[in-house]
Amino acid sequence: MKNRLKVLRAERDWSQAELAGRLDVSRQAVNAIETGKHDPSLPLAFRIARLFDMRIEDIFDDGDPA
Amino acid sequence: MIWNSKEGTPGPGEARTRERQRRQMFYIGLAALIGGAAGFLTGFFDQGHGSLFAGDFAQLKLPPMLALGLAALLVGGFILLPLRGFGMIDDYKRQQNFVGFTGGCLSVLAGYPIWAVLYAGGFVPAPHAFGIFAIAYVSMVLSFLYARWRL
Repeated sequence: MKNRLKVLRAERDWSQAELAGRLDVSRQAVNAIETGKHDPSLPLAFRIARLFDMRIEDIFDDGDPA
Repeated sequence: MIWNSKEGTPGPGEARTRERQRRQMFYIGLAALIGGAAGFLTGFFDQGHGSLFAGDFAQLKLPPMLALGLAALLVGGFILLPLRGFGMIDDYKRQQNFVGFTGGCLSVLAGYPIWAVLYAGGFVPAPHAFGIFAIAYVSMVLSFLYARWRL
């Protein structure tokens, strides 16, 4: 699943470790999500959306145009 | 450790990440300590001529109280500590652990009957407890490493 996490993080000048701490996950998890190797759970997706004050679908794109 | 840090003072998130890392290292260290203590005590106080690693359990002989203590230590190291750890890790690491444990479990489910029929055919020695344990352990570690590489 594509996502804008890396861009959003860079806009705030946060390191992966900084974002990981704010989300209460490991830095490896942030890296895996950013590189598209891991899809976050729904609760984590909500936490990410709240942290960036955005909607989940504005951050994550499952490629489905519908 | 790659922190991917930016210049300047670490933010609150980085501090939490460092704390998470420290906690993780503490649990890994504690698990290693328990494993090392169990192995050392078993070897040091073994009064027989058996060997855990050769599967020669019949000749292992430990003082009863030490055996009970070791059993309690192993319950802590192999059950309680991992369960506590699973409650602390995130989804991503839980997924890696899931792959690791699935690999270990499937290897035993398939490995034992395969070993048994190969023994019946005269190809290998009879299955023994430590061999099964080793299959589970090695398969679990390899599956976990595969998950860390691929996931």
